Amino acid sequence: MQTLPALLAAGFLCAAPLSAYAHPHVFAEASLEVVVGAGGKVDSLGHVWRFDDLFSSTVLFEFDKNKDLKLDEDELRSVAETVHGSLAEFDYFQFVTHDGKEVKMRAPVHLVATFDDNMLTIMFESQPEQELKLDGKVDFGVYDPTFYTAIDFTEDELMMVQGLPAACTRAVIRPDPDEAIAQNQQTLTEAFFNDPMGTDMSKIFATRLEISCGGQG
Amino acid sequence: MKKTTVRIVFGLLAATYVLTHFLGHAHAQSSLGIGANEAVLPSTGMFAGLLNWINVHQQQFYRALTGSLKSMRDGGGGQWLLVALSFAYGVFHAAGPGHGKAVISSYMLANEVALRRGVVLSFISALLQAVTAILVMTLVYFVLRGTAISMTDATRFLEIASYAMVTAFGLWLLWQKAVPRLAGAFGMGRAHSLSAAAAHAHHHDHAEHHHHHAHGPGEVCSSCGHSHAPDPALLSAPAFNWRSAWAAVAAVGLRPCTGALIVLSFAFLNGLWVAGVVSVLAMAVGTALTVSLLAVLAVSAKNVAVRFAGDGRMGNRIHAAIEIGGAALVFLLGVTLLAATI
Repeated sequence: MQTLPALLAAGFLCAAPLSAYAHPHVFAEASLEVVVGAGGKVDSLGHVWRFDDLFSSTVLFEFDKNKDLKLDEDELRSVAETVHGSLAEFDYFQFVTHDGKEVKMRAPVHLVATFDDNMLTIMFESQPEQELKLDGKVDFGVYDPTFYTAIDFTEDELMMVQGLPAACTRAVIRPDPDEAIAQNQQTLTEAFFNDPMGTDMSKIFATRLEISCGGQG
Repeated sequence: MKKTTVRIVFGLLAATYVLTHFLGHAHAQSSLGIGANEAVLPSTGMFAGLLNWINVHQQQFYRALTGSLKSMRDGGGGQWLLVALSFAYGVFHAAGPGHGKAVISSYMLANEVALRRGVVLSFISALLQAVTAILVMTLVYFVLRGTAISMTDATRFLEIASYAMVTAFGLWLLWQKAVPRLAGAFGMGRAHSLSAAAAHAHHHDHAEHHHHHAHGPGEVCSSCGHSHAPDPALLSAPAFNWRSAWAAVAAVGLRPCTGALIVLSFAFLNGLWVAGVVSVLAMAVGTALTVSLLAVLAVSAKNVAVRFAGDGRMGNRIHAAIEIGGAALVFLLGVTLLAATI
């Protein structure tokens, strides 16, 4: 009997075709600056994303209204507005947690777009909605929950903290995908059944900045 | 094996298929608002490791591909490398998300399509997809640039058109597959007509008016109890409906792939005309290869399942269920994608 292999094949087939997540079509080299103010409170997060040549050409294609193969101020403004509008739905790719609890961030007032060396750069700043004091563990993740954009922090130094209190340490965590899947299998499966539309998968893969402050936790 | 076991196994398979295919098609629009993203699904369960592996490779190929285009812009040459990378990207890309393989596989499940034809269909639809991408970019570059219509708009329009076609196509398939059987079920003995209809499905695919193979009460069904593996003679017979096949191909091919559009926009802007077109065509060939493989697997699994369930009533019911299920899946896929896009 060949039934078992056949059924396994059928099972594989049923599960396989669509279930790989989308892969990124856009790559951005990113930097993050966390500015800590008086009393160890987070003032703001500053983001700079430099997009790859190919996506940048796509942007040029789309927004070059006067066909001069350059993006002038007006055109760049409409790039920034488009991206600003779309990112709102995805929390501007910022995912902050304080001791595992989600911290809401205020939407940036506007984004700035520039186009140099055929590459698009987007910059913006955003503040926590409520006071965020550094104690315990605070995690800052920057990623696209839809997997469309790969936000890469090529070096640990690109996740900066300005004014880090003496009692705190800063670490950049880069999860290994296989390990992350193994560790999160259970929760992922639950999450999947609770919220099949959820696209939180990228959370466990994303590079994140973790600030741990001892003593006061 | 007993009926109950068979039912449970098929119930599980169907559930897996639906869970992995139709939940979570949100965010068809891209998060940046520029360009169109492809369907996103959380990947969990037993294949997470494998899918992650596919994903990692796909990303690597995409990065290498973009890298080789950049080096060509800088005068580095490397056309063959580009072709090879595009092809590899296509192979892995098709193993990822996308409606193409689901539509083609389901269509093949719903119809008794010769495997060879299934492969041809996969290739035609992948090539059509490449041609659409090339046409869109050419149009955008020469005509639409500077107008209010952006590439994102054009893609979105095609995407909606494609998903609407998938929905309509699914509905039509469902109509063709389910109506004759239901009519048969009400018209006469259920078991009898079900087996008759199932056994003769391939003869009736071309029927526009959904007549079904009717048997008078007590009439012997000559082909009932025969093996339901595709009979080569039948498969090469003119019963194959090219019109319905074209509908499947067009529905799939209308929606250009995001990677292809991005590659083309870069290539065109940098005057790498031939390289861009060749790269996209190589991607299509790679995609077609994976889609054919999956479609062939789907049909083989169906044949095994039907044969395994036996020749009697059960086998015919499973056959009917797979066909109607395949049609329903195409429809459901279209509706879900459409709902996520609009």
